[in-house]
Order: sequence, then C-alpha cells, then structure tokens
Amino acid sequence: MPHVPTDDDVYEVFAQTGTGSALSHVGSLVAPRRDAAWHLAKETYGRRDDLFRLWVVRRGDLIVSSAGDRGLLAAKTRMPHRQPGFPTTRRRDRSAAPDATIAAPAATVATQAAAARERPGGSVSECGDAHGVAGRALDGLWLALADDLFVLGNRLGERIVDYIDLEESLAVGSIGQEALAHAETVLALHGFDGPAADAHFFERPREQWQVSRVIGRLGDWPSTVACGLVIAAAVTVLAEEPAAHEPAIAAVRDEQLVHLDHWRRWARALAAWPETSEEFAQAYAEVTRSAGDLFGAGPRDVPADAPPGPSAAAAELHGRLAALIRDSGGPGSLLPDLPVARAAGNGGSVLADCLAHGRVVREHYAPEVFR
Amino acid sequence: MPTAAAAGLRCYELWDPMPDEVREGARRFATVQALNELVGVLPFAEWLDRAPSYTRRQMLMAKVQDEVGHGHVAARVAEDLGMPRERILLDYLEGRSKVHNIFHYSFASWEEFGPGLLLMNSAAILQFRSLTKGVYLPYARALRKIEREESFHYQHALDLTHEVLTHGDADQRRRVQEGFEMWLPRVLAYLGPPDTETLHANRMYQIGLKPDGNDELRQAWLSKIIPVFRKLGVHVDPAMVRQMPSGEWEFAMPDWAEVKKVVAGGGPASQRRLDWVRGALDRNARYRRALRGVA
Ligand SMILES: [Fe+2]
Repeated sequence: MPHVPTDDDVYEVFAQTGTGSALSHVGSLVAPRRDAAWHLAKETYGRRDDLFRLWVVRRGDLIVSSAGDRGLLAAKTRMPHRQPGFPTTRRRDRSAAPDATIAAPAATVATQAAAARERPGGSVSECGDAHGVAGRALDGLWLALADDLFVLGNRLGERIVDYIDLEESLAVGSIGQEALAHAETVLALHGFDGPAADAHFFERPREQWQVSRVIGRLGDWPSTVACGLVIAAAVTVLAEEPAAHEPAIAAVRDEQLVHLDHWRRWARALAAWPETSEEFAQAYAEVTRSAGDLFGAGPRDVPADAPPGPSAAAAELHGRLAALIRDSGGPGSLLPDLPVARAAGNGGSVLADCLAHGRVVREHYAPEVFR
Repeated sequence: MPTAAAAGLRCYELWDPMPDEVREGARRFATVQALNELVGVLPFAEWLDRAPSYTRRQMLMAKVQDEVGHGHVAARVAEDLGMPRERILLDYLEGRSKVHNIFHYSFASWEEFGPGLLLMNSAAILQFRSLTKGVYLPYARALRKIEREESFHYQHALDLTHEVLTHGDADQRRRVQEGFEMWLPRVLAYLGPPDTETLHANRMYQIGLKPDGNDELRQAWLSKIIPVFRKLGVHVDPAMVRQMPSGEWEFAMPDWAEVKKVVAGGGPASQRRLDWVRGALDRNARYRRALRGVA
C-alpha cells in the first residue's frame, strides 16, 4: 500500500533544465524551515546548470509507492492489450500462423470446456488438499465468478463515458478492464485457451451462464457500486482459499482488493451524503439480498447424489463474505445467512443484452476470425 | 520538431506572467480539446458492447479510457487557467461551444469503424504534434502524453482494419472501401478551411499557439495516410485525392457549407451526442456531489 513518509524536515527536490525536458527528481535535502528549502535546493542542485524550473516538496506531503506496490504498478504486463506494441505483434503473429492453428473447430472448444468440468480439481486446486468433490466445487465457484466478472467488466466499460467525474471515469475503466482480465485468468487456469475463452464468453447459450442474481441488479450508479463491492469481496474471499495458491490468483486478489477499497469509498460517500443516502441504502439492500448465491453452487455443479442445502465449504466461504461485506462501510446488508444455489436464467436483461450485443458483429464472420 | 523556444518564442508556465491573449488562447485551445475528447469518444464507446472478441473488447475499452483520459488532462490544463470542468460540458449543452464535424456522425458498421478510426487518428496525431510546439508549456506537455497514446490507437485501428480486410468476405471488404470514401472528406474538413493566404494574419499563429497552418497539416497528413490505405489494399479514387508530380496533393474540396451545417448541430448524430451528455450529467450529478462533499 502506498504510504506517506514522515521526515518533517526533509525536502525532495525536482529540477528542469530546459523548456522541452521534464521536471525530474534530483535528490533531497534537510531544511530547518520551509521558506529556506527552495534556496538551499538551488545551492545544492542548481550550481552547475541553468535551471528552468525548480520545485521543492516536503517529504511528508508526498504519497509514495512502496516495494509491495510493484505488482499493481506493473498492471499492464498482466493486461497485454495495453502495451504499445500489442496490435502490431498481434497482427504479425496472426499473419505468420498457418491456417490450421488459427482455426479452432467448435468441437475442440466444447470438449475443452467439458474437460475442465470433468477434471477432478482443475489446476487452481491442484496444489491444495482438495479431494475430487471439493476441488470440483471450487472450480465451479471460480467459473461462476468468471461469468459475473465478465458481465460486470463490460458494464463498467460503458461507465467510462458516464462522466460521474473524469477521474472516476478513468478508475472505472481500469476496474472494468481488470475484471475482464480476471475472468480470462480464471478460464486460463481451468484449461481454456484464447479461442475457447472467446467461445465461452461469446457463443455459449444463455441457459448455460450461471451469473449471480446481483448481475440482474446492475443498473444505476448506486447499484453498480453495491454490485462492484459484493463481487470484489467474493473474488477476494475465494482467492484466499489455500487451494487457490497460484501466482495468477494472488495477482487477481491484489487487484480486487484495490477494487474493493474503491467501492467501499463510494459506499461510504453515497451513504453519508443526504441527497443519496436513501437511494443507496435501498440499492445496497437489494444487491446484498441477491448476493446469497455468490458462493452457491451453479445449476450444473450440483451432483445428483448431493445432500440438499449448501456444502460446509460453501457455508464457510459465505461466512467470510458476510464478514467482509459487514465491514465495508455500506448501510445495512441483507445478505442471507446461508448460501443459496445459483439458478439458470439469472442476470435478466443485463445478461441478455450483454450476450446479444456481443454477437452483433461476431455472427457475420467465420468463427476463427476473432480471437 | 522544433519547440517554440527553439523558434525564438517566449514560453510560459502556469504561474508565469503572460499576455492575456496567450492565457485566454491557451484556455480556449485546452477547453476545445477537452470537449472534443469527451464528446468525440462517444461514437467509439457505442461499439464497446459489440466488439466481437475478448481481446478486441479489451483493446477498445483501453482506447475509450485513453480518450477520456485525454479529455481529463486537457480539462486540467483549462481548469488551471480558470475554466471549471463542469462548464466545459455545460457550454456544449447550452450551445455556447461546438464539437468538430467528425463527431456528429455514428459508425453504421464494424467494417466502417476501422477506416474511420484510422483516418481520424492519423489526422489528430499530426495536429497534436503540431500543437506541442506551442508556447504554453503545460498544454504542450499534455499534448505529448496524448499524442503518444493516439499512436497506440493508430496501431489499434490499423490492426482492426487489416483484420476485416484479411478475413472478411467480399461484402465486408466493400464496406471498408465505402467507409474510407465516406470518412476521407470528413477528415479533410476536420483539418480546417484553407488558410495558406491568411495564416500569418491569424493571431493564434502570431502569438505561438497555432504553429502550423491547416493546409500544411492537410498535406502532411495525406502524405502519411494515403500510402497506408493503399498498402492495406484500399482503392484511392484519383477524383477524391491524387498526388501531383510536385509531391503536393490535390483533393476534392469538402463542401464547407455542409460542414458548417453539421457543426452547428445538423449532423446525423448531433442530437444523439447532446442527449447522451445531458443524460449523463442529469443522472449522475448527485453522485458527483456525494463524492466531493464527503471525500
Ligand atoms: Fe484523444
């Protein structure tokens, strides 16, 4: 986490040598009084150069990154589409690839998805102590959360131009891209390669989606804040499972913790502001009431011979989710005491629109074109 | 490219004393840019949920985010010069400011999207690169960041257009061709009316905020982008644009009366843009107040 360094008499010095160059950090000094700092900086760092600008900042007024933030700061390496050379490399790679590797026959896609389901514990749970059934349940929860993250990520992308505030537009744009990236990471860990992940998100019939009921609540800003909060909380909880020890999942967790903080700040602001508090309390109540299925088994993950009711593992995860949501700064949560199963057909028009719009262009091209 | 300082002009930082017309000119340039970024991103944002694959969607979302980021840095420059950010969109809604002609249209198809994007991006890059030579340094710095990201968008547009041309069927390729022909005159017009005769009398040129003329930029742009389209396999009709033996480009002059009408709000998507911005401000104003009020 970034921190504020607190040496009260230390000043950091920034200098610029010409109009075309950037102001850069050149060092620091100790000054007994604020009004002496600038002159001391000039004597310390400006003796041999004609400076164009000289700025001095008290160290205690800075907010600086720490070594633990490097992963967050290197976010683009987990989101290759943000790297400047990405489109060019992509085009080159695809032109070089023989047709056989571009084409991913639909049969392969279906088999891959099925294989991920059949395997006793996907790669996510391999290093844990999970026996077959628990491992499979965990995989089911991850794949269901990937569905939630995908739809949430798309909706947040649309919020970029909602202009709640310009800084918020940028923040929500990154949270959206990260949610999509996390959904893809989860799929990759469950054996889906690029084309299979695309088919999973863009071609799977609606009945096979297993989004949480909260997705159907994604509407105005207060409900978006509440949905963002409960989904980030759920991903964080699941990512802390010992069976999930996987560097890619640790990275997902670190980013989702930042998202959770973001939504908590909004929850506190909306709850405290007289103009929005009632509206937010209502949205929060509806979303948390619907969030009981975040750790509920998906419709296809309940073995025929399973006893009725949630498994002990799901109840335990749900308990941790409830605790996290309780201290999240929102108003009263209506999260049910025990997890309830996810049902097919959740997500209402939010999911339906997301899937229908996603096919508008895609359906006019051969399946292997877009990936 | 030489900076304003290298050209012997005096440059200014935010807190420097400067002539009123430099301060006001810089505020106007930054305000116009902020508005055009924030409204100009909307035709692209409309395609976010139709982007046809996971990667395409991520790339487009990153572009949309960058564009709003450009609006943000330009708005920060304008705010520091006394233009509150709320007023940038409000002036637009209330008819006191206008967006460029190219932002009064929507894309009718994914195939039109690529060539439109490529034409607009490449023109914007040249224009911003020119403006980075201006005398107001905070704006010049903002433009350098913006220009760098625009060049990512250019690569993105190239990739997208190439993908459709490589994998699309005959109809889809034809729509790319039509998209090119539809957007070329619009972007020629976006670069502004002919000004070779009048540039030296333009006050913004004299004080160093508008370093290059419209005609000069238009020529440089055509030299750069026409070969790119040819290489992609798009046919460039000599009746629309052709290069003379001297190297200079001739082109069918845009219909300036039509451009004026479009900019005044008579374009096919003019009302749609206004409605979006009004809707966004109306539905979200109280949340912004909540954020500011409690933070
Ligand atoms: Fe831009």
